[in-house]
Amino acid sequence: MMSTDLRSAMGEFKVHRVRFFDYMPSGIRALAFNQDTERMAVARMDGSVEVFHCSDRFFQEKIIPGREQCGIEGLSWVGERLFSAGLNGGITEYDLTNQKVKYTIDAYGGPIWTITGNQQGTHLAVGCEDGTVKLFEVNEDQIQFERNLDRQKSRIISLSWHPSGSKIAAGMMDMIQVFNVETGHSIHRMLADRGAGTSRSKECVVWSVVYLSDGTIITGDSVGMVKLWDDQTGTLIKSHNVTKCDVLALSVSQNEDSLVAGTSEGIVVQFQFVSMVLEKDDKEWVRTRTFRNHTHDIRAVAEITTAVVSGGMDAQLVVRPLLDKIEVRSAASALRKIHFPHRRLVSCARKSGLMLFQYPGHLELWRLGESEGKGTPGSSLFVKRNPEKLLQLKVKGEDHIRCSAVSPCGGWIVYSTASTLRLYRLHCDNNNISITKISKLPKVLSSANQLCFSSDSSHLFSASAQSSVHIASLSQSGCKFVGTLKPKSGSHQAIHLLAASEDGKWLASANSDHEVHIYNLQTQKAHCTVPVYSSAVTAMGIHPATNCLFMMHADQQMFEYSIEQKQYTDWSRTVQRKGLHRFWVERDTPCLNVMFNPQNPSHVILHDMYMLCIIDQSLPLPDDKTQFYNQLTLKSLTEEQRKSQSHAFKVCKTFKDILCVELMPDQSLVVVERPLEDIATQLPAPIKQKKFAT
Amino acid sequence: MSELTLQFESSDDELPEEVAFDASKSVALKSVKDALDAAKREKNLLKEKRRKKQQLFQEQKKRKLLPQELLEEFDTKPQKQTDLSANKGIYKKVSTKPSHNNKVKEQETGTMPKKTPKSLPVSYRVMRIKDESAAKTLQQRATDFVQSRLYGPGTKRTTNAELLSLKKKRGASQGAAVEFANKKLGACKKARIKRSNKRFIRQQKLIPF
Repeated sequence: MMSTDLRSAMGEFKVHRVRFFDYMPSGIRALAFNQDTERMAVARMDGSVEVFHCSDRFFQEKIIPGREQCGIEGLSWVGERLFSAGLNGGITEYDLTNQKVKYTIDAYGGPIWTITGNQQGTHLAVGCEDGTVKLFEVNEDQIQFERNLDRQKSRIISLSWHPSGSKIAAGMMDMIQVFNVETGHSIHRMLADRGAGTSRSKECVVWSVVYLSDGTIITGDSVGMVKLWDDQTGTLIKSHNVTKCDVLALSVSQNEDSLVAGTSEGIVVQFQFVSMVLEKDDKEWVRTRTFRNHTHDIRAVAEITTAVVSGGMDAQLVVRPLLDKIEVRSAASALRKIHFPHRRLVSCARKSGLMLFQYPGHLELWRLGESEGKGTPGSSLFVKRNPEKLLQLKVKGEDHIRCSAVSPCGGWIVYSTASTLRLYRLHCDNNNISITKISKLPKVLSSANQLCFSSDSSHLFSASAQSSVHIASLSQSGCKFVGTLKPKSGSHQAIHLLAASEDGKWLASANSDHEVHIYNLQTQKAHCTVPVYSSAVTAMGIHPATNCLFMMHADQQMFEYSIEQKQYTDWSRTVQRKGLHRFWVERDTPCLNVMFNPQNPSHVILHDMYMLCIIDQSLPLPDDKTQFYNQLTLKSLTEEQRKSQSHAFKVCKTFKDILCVELMPDQSLVVVERPLEDIATQLPAPIKQKKFAT
Repeated sequence: MSELTLQFESSDDELPEEVAFDASKSVALKSVKDALDAAKREKNLLKEKRRKKQQLFQEQKKRKLLPQELLEEFDTKPQKQTDLSANKGIYKKVSTKPSHNNKVKEQETGTMPKKTPKSLPVSYRVMRIKDESAAKTLQQRATDFVQSRLYGPGTKRTTNAELLSLKKKRGASQGAAVEFANKKLGACKKARIKRSNKRFIRQQKLIPF
């Protein structure tokens, strides 16, 4: 941890640079794109499933936490329902409204390697370890086992339905089989070549298979070949050697003219169905582009209408737009890499200098260090007392933590998994820490989507089913249920953000349907609803003095809504009328926290992954011609010139890979950084690639 | 030529040797006795082997049985309660452990008055071992299969440190390899190497006192 002195035109701050949050993202295992709703479902190695909204700047709308020993292997959409299957042998359906698992049924075939739904949306096929392809009928509320296709001798690694639903291609060990779905018998058996050299002794694993409507079957295998087969004759048409290691994932576009293949080396290769000679009709699959955006194995690729999305063991989701499909160059057409989750993993007890870090399986409570002396801006201060880890709280059971919070006074810690909610009382003397679990919790507090304490730490707000918020009062005697806040109308989608006002009168909640409801805590009734905006809310906060709700959205727009007057503020209207600066709107990571400075009521402090910004509402807004990042320039000007040149957005780019920024009461900033290089050193081993001049 | 023929055909031309009747008789008897001895030896050897195996089995069986104290406890309990059925069960030789236990248990549940059943502590669960472990090993085996195909022998893998170091070497601002630049990396390994170096120097007395 370092303390730096940050002085600039935006004010003087002592900054605690925190790097002891060893957050490790989990690798991506599967992707599934839903064409109709434009959502991308991502399954991670730790069993968590995330849903991204592709047209809303890939904002991470929903997160369903995973559990230990999950072994998820595949995802599939059937209409608007999401299913997954894994090595634990079960098929899971997810309740996307409440962001949790709906049910899991055992397929009784051993570990399941792949799951795929047919285009008609009537059946799901799973490929099992015991060599069977099992068909499940998708009913209104459940799935039901229908029958097995003929059992084979080796495991089924990949499946693909023919668009008509009458045939299904299965990639197995050393071969590909085509089944007739109605009879269950195998029509063709195509043998995959084991290649030359050392790979001859190992079986060739057909990692992925794609069945096109014209009868072409495309496979990617462990020898590094992408092969095209004909299903009428059962023979090989063409084979392309893409890499010397494995081809792990394939995906074909909706209109079947483009195919992308992901490899172990981290490269994505695109094939396109074009005619070699202009204006001639004989088309064939030709290798066109190569994308090198990953460093580790790519386990899943998906081609959406205008981009190629890939994810793998380096835990980043990369969206690479295909420039020939895009008409207008905008922020949406830039390469996007999503590293960190779009939820806060750090909560801060401002009054006692404590920070709570949320890991999947445990929580860590740290006390910030102290420094002494003053320094010049940008210098490091002497650390008098090192930050220390006070507590590590392990979760009981196999579920991962969904959300957690520490009260502002530092006396309460609460966390929730998919099945339980636990509240702890914390006593912290100078050297002694004691923690007691509150065992008698109100029955309604069983599981929460989001948790928040009131500013005086007297109440706990827990967002639960049907977009409602439960209020519980906290005292020496324990926790008592006070009431439930229900929205007047609207959706039942889960709440992902909660914000409480400083004076304890108001509570704002934002759910996945872009609805923001404001409740009056004294009457426990809904006060008003903010007009629905097309983009999701990524961060919000209530100003301590003016009680205005400041909201940041995924498309980088900002709104300020006055709670007492039930309308947007004048400043907000000015921002909308004038428009935001291009550089602000083109940022590709969302703002995750909104803070206010009690000593400077016109300041709003925001941060995203790469920058920290203080918006001064008393200064004029920049227009497109002004220099946006003008902090350095301002330093060199005189006092007079500075006053005329400065605009409202003061951006600081000193800190990188920021997970969280908090403002402490003593005017010091805490910046929690997680350098991507540190994450990279702990990832699984990458393939050795020979590069020129090394 | 006659001498040569004499030499080569000497064995054929000479008169057969005179062998006494006794000598040949003794030889014949000896060979018969040898054969009988060999057969006897074989039989004895097999007998020994069989005996040793039997001993080994007995010892293994003994090891499988419960320790003596527990058996005595089982013996005494039914004796206390009943006389009739107890006699039948206890004095029977303890041959195999499971059947003995079952017999005793049957007697216990049939004849003893109902005792308050001991309940398990709250955090314990009862589950069949075969169900649990079979499913787990299947999943573990599947994971091992994927691990060995992607990271096992035959795959050309390198370390993350090397990947990052190469990036730095070819990057815009060239710097040292990550192992040297990043102090956190491999900190424990470096500490271990330092300690072993110190030990070596002390051992070899490279630095004079």
